[in-house]
Amino acid sequence: MEISRRAFLQTSIAGGAALSVFGFDVAPVLAQARTLKISRTSETRSTCPYCSVSCGVIIHTLGDRAKNAVPQVVHVEGDPDHPINRGTLCPKGASLQQDILNDRRLVKPQVRRPGSDHWEDIDWDTAVDEIARSVKKTRDATFVTRDSRGRTVNRCESIAWAGGCTDTNELNYLVVKTMRSLGVVSLENQARV
Amino acid sequence: MFHGKTTAWRRRIERADQLASENGPAASLLRFYARLLREQQKVCDGLAASPLSGSIEADVDRVSDCMHGILRAILECGPEQLAADARKILNGPGSVSRDLVLTYWGNRSDRMFFPKALLQAYCELVSQQDSATPRTQAAADENTCPNCGGQPQLSILDPSASASAEGSARQLQCATCLVTWPFRRVVCPSCGNEDERTLGYYESPTLPHVRVDTCDRCRRYLKTIDLGRLGLAVPLVDEVAGAPLDVWAGQHGYEKIELNLIGL
Repeated sequence: MEISRRAFLQTSIAGGAALSVFGFDVAPVLAQARTLKISRTSETRSTCPYCSVSCGVIIHTLGDRAKNAVPQVVHVEGDPDHPINRGTLCPKGASLQQDILNDRRLVKPQVRRPGSDHWEDIDWDTAVDEIARSVKKTRDATFVTRDSRGRTVNRCESIAWAGGCTDTNELNYLVVKTMRSLGVVSLENQARV
Repeated sequence: MFHGKTTAWRRRIERADQLASENGPAASLLRFYARLLREQQKVCDGLAASPLSGSIEADVDRVSDCMHGILRAILECGPEQLAADARKILNGPGSVSRDLVLTYWGNRSDRMFFPKALLQAYCELVSQQDSATPRTQAAADENTCPNCGGQPQLSILDPSASASAEGSARQLQCATCLVTWPFRRVVCPSCGNEDERTLGYYESPTLPHVRVDTCDRCRRYLKTIDLGRLGLAVPLVDEVAGAPLDVWAGQHGYEKIELNLIGL
């Protein structure tokens, strides 16, 4: 009967012998194996979000996928198999781990009032209300229906949108729909990656 | 012509001696492996004295004649199981060594210690020659050696193999001819699985430059030596030194793609 390698080792250990397939004594190795602190890490291919070059990255995430364990990104490196960057990353891309794990990341909205010299925290509801009020006030006051030659243009020239490089496709889709519906023409969302 | 190969064997021997002297759990395995590497180097040096044809069928007599050194080493310091096999070969007819080599070449098995140890020295030497390399068939899949069609013994992450220090390129090292070839990251070298959710690696702070790359689809693994973490490592030797990880992987239901010459 053909015995698998794994079964062979296990049988040997159970029998007290602890031998490798070729008969080597692996008892000390077995003893150390029992004391090893082992952690599982997974590698995920992704694309650097920073610019339109679209470099490939590999994200290393520590965690054994247990329900009570929170996966944690421990390393981000350039993907050596990616045709664009062949493993290289610019300094900004090389620091991607800090984009994911950063205690300086803002986790709530802030506002700097006119004339103020500092930012203050506000809650989401207040932020959304204030933004909506400002957008409506500005748009109503400055909306252009016809240009200087009398042609219908229906545009809002006093509001602009500048998207961030880490914005997702889904966010950018909503941004374009929203800004176009408002008549905003000064629109940049870096939707090139 | 074969100076580079001699240097490679010397580096392996020195690394095995160094790791064995540290008296870790795998010290006895490494002492044996250092002795085996010395015999393999002698085989390599002996065969390098005159050109080889590159065809195993044509070179088999010269190659099998070199098996005696390996057999003697096993009798002196190998485990009883291998020593018994060595005695059978030594006491058998002269054609036994030859038949073993040809049988192994036609149907590779990591359970065949003697022809594997012998052919590692021969095939690596031949791969350095300008003449045709031994080849059972053209390797159609990239997870087998493009030189001889063998299974990978281990995987290497080498930052110097890629364009910059960021992102280590991966290479596989053949268990038969010790040649390395590039292989993609985040792919199972056994079944070709690319599903990141079922691929992963296990590592321990005890052996920070050695990791166990596993595939939960085919339940197989191989060890990876990360030269970015320890540039002094010699992959073939450090793979043996990482024996505790082999035991751990076996206990957790993973089967190695190709056993090494220690049988782990």
